[in-house]
Amino acid sequence: MSSDEDRAIKMREAGERESARLWRAWRTVHEMVQDRGYELTEEEVKISLEDFKAKFTGADGTIERKLMTFSARPSDAMMKKYANPPTASNPNPPSADIGTIWVEFLPDTSVGIKQMRNFAQHLSANNFHTGILITNVNITPAALKIIPAVQSETRIECFLEQDLLVNITHHELVPKHVLLSKEEKAKLLERYRLKDTQLPRIQLGDPVARYLGLRRGQVVKIIRRSETAGRYASYRLCV
Amino acid sequence: MASATTPKSILKKPSYPATGSSKADRDREVALYHANLIQQRKDIELKILLSTETLIDYPLAAAPYDASNPSPADARSFKDLLRPFQPSDYDALIVERNINEHCGYALCPKPRVKDGGGGKYRIVGKYGKAKDFRVVDKEELEKWCSEACAKRALYVRVQLSETPAWEREGFNSVNIDLLDEPKSEEGKSKERQSEEDQVVEALGELNLRGTEDQVKKQDAADLALERGDRGYATKNGLVDVKIHDKEVTEPVQAPSLDTDDLSSRLGTMHLTLEGHTPSFGSRKQRRHHEELGDIEGENSDEDTDWKL
Ligand SMILES: [Zn+2]
Repeated sequence: MSSDEDRAIKMREAGERESARLWRAWRTVHEMVQDRGYELTEEEVKISLEDFKAKFTGADGTIERKLMTFSARPSDAMMKKYANPPTASNPNPPSADIGTIWVEFLPDTSVGIKQMRNFAQHLSANNFHTGILITNVNITPAALKIIPAVQSETRIECFLEQDLLVNITHHELVPKHVLLSKEEKAKLLERYRLKDTQLPRIQLGDPVARYLGLRRGQVVKIIRRSETAGRYASYRLCV
Repeated sequence: MASATTPKSILKKPSYPATGSSKADRDREVALYHANLIQQRKDIELKILLSTETLIDYPLAAAPYDASNPSPADARSFKDLLRPFQPSDYDALIVERNINEHCGYALCPKPRVKDGGGGKYRIVGKYGKAKDFRVVDKEELEKWCSEACAKRALYVRVQLSETPAWEREGFNSVNIDLLDEPKSEEGKSKERQSEEDQVVEALGELNLRGTEDQVKKQDAADLALERGDRGYATKNGLVDVKIHDKEVTEPVQAPSLDTDDLSSRLGTMHLTLEGHTPSFGSRKQRRHHEELGDIEGENSDEDTDWKL
């Protein structure tokens, strides 16, 4: 009798923990998408745990990951940031390589080629420019090879739920990273008479680079606080 | 004296003929060569990925066929697709099949077993001979539908080459045998076999017996591999190596101690090392003469400076 009650209580507690985990990952991925420059309302980003539970709890009383999806469109500012400025040699540059983003939480307990292929097909079929796949488990190495194979059609990024429990960019030791537009990058290199390869680097797989969805060749401005100099900026090239 | 003439270089003359191509051209060639290598590697890796994807849903043939008697068509394409695989790629295939709840052996239509019980290990071979008794990781057992399939799958795995396909010479040489080949030769399944299968199979047999060309080509490829001409990338390599065999027209004779032959060699016999007689000084003298000949036209007294 009492052991049954115990078990029920433990189950409920585990369910609560799971809901809270997913809520935090949900919030972080919204902040991430917003920080990249996509359009999201404050209500969408700052959803409360209660609202979250009300929205995504399924028939069995647990959070249904299958329901946890959303898309967002790039803001005008973001379009400008990714725009290719016209140059003398190329007065009509191609339009900005950016578009609607699709975010999906995957409930599967193992993620292989099939799941990745399905995700890629979903993105292509709905004309999503970028897709973020959030899984509870590691993706098999073979499945990760799908990502470069479909790169010409759509961009896929993968995150683990556990990596999104906290927003790393909110940590006090992580300085502010700001992406430079192509025009700003050109001006920077001109001002300091540099080639971009002469800049310090940031890896594509760096947690902050992944958070901002940086691409090879982009430059970020890193703003640090300094006790002696107030604030100072440095620049890094994504490689 | 020799003030007007430029000093003669003591460095060796370059042994290669001056090529017409500039440095930029050569650089471009090298860059292209390496780009091609990388592209080749990428192509093969993509092929392996697509093959893995195909093999997740194998076998294609239904009911009468199973892992102990796969359909000839499936068995054939299974072997074909596996050729560029390394053992690690094969392991990845097993993982992918397991994710989709298939038995790890690609020619088996059954689902893998799932042992609901707890614990990390299982005991197998409890009722057989003592040598069969083992303690096995539960996860290892759950990869297959049965132990027979585990054996079949591993039988294939050990035949795969550890060398990446892009470094292999003619990876068509990887021929995979199955532990349980299609038993289509038996009369009853032959009837069920599609006409196309029969034709292809007959062609295959024909090829084996008919032409020795294939065998010769294979031998040549294997020899090249042994010599170290690795990779089909190196075939179009930077260095164009042509081997010219020295043609021997006279019949070969064993060395003899004929008296007349011997007498002519007696004077230098004591200098001979394993049949070779070193000629001291002669080459040096020869070169000296050549150089003198070179110089004489322009400045003959250069070498006689020490006399003064
Ligand atoms: Zn099986």
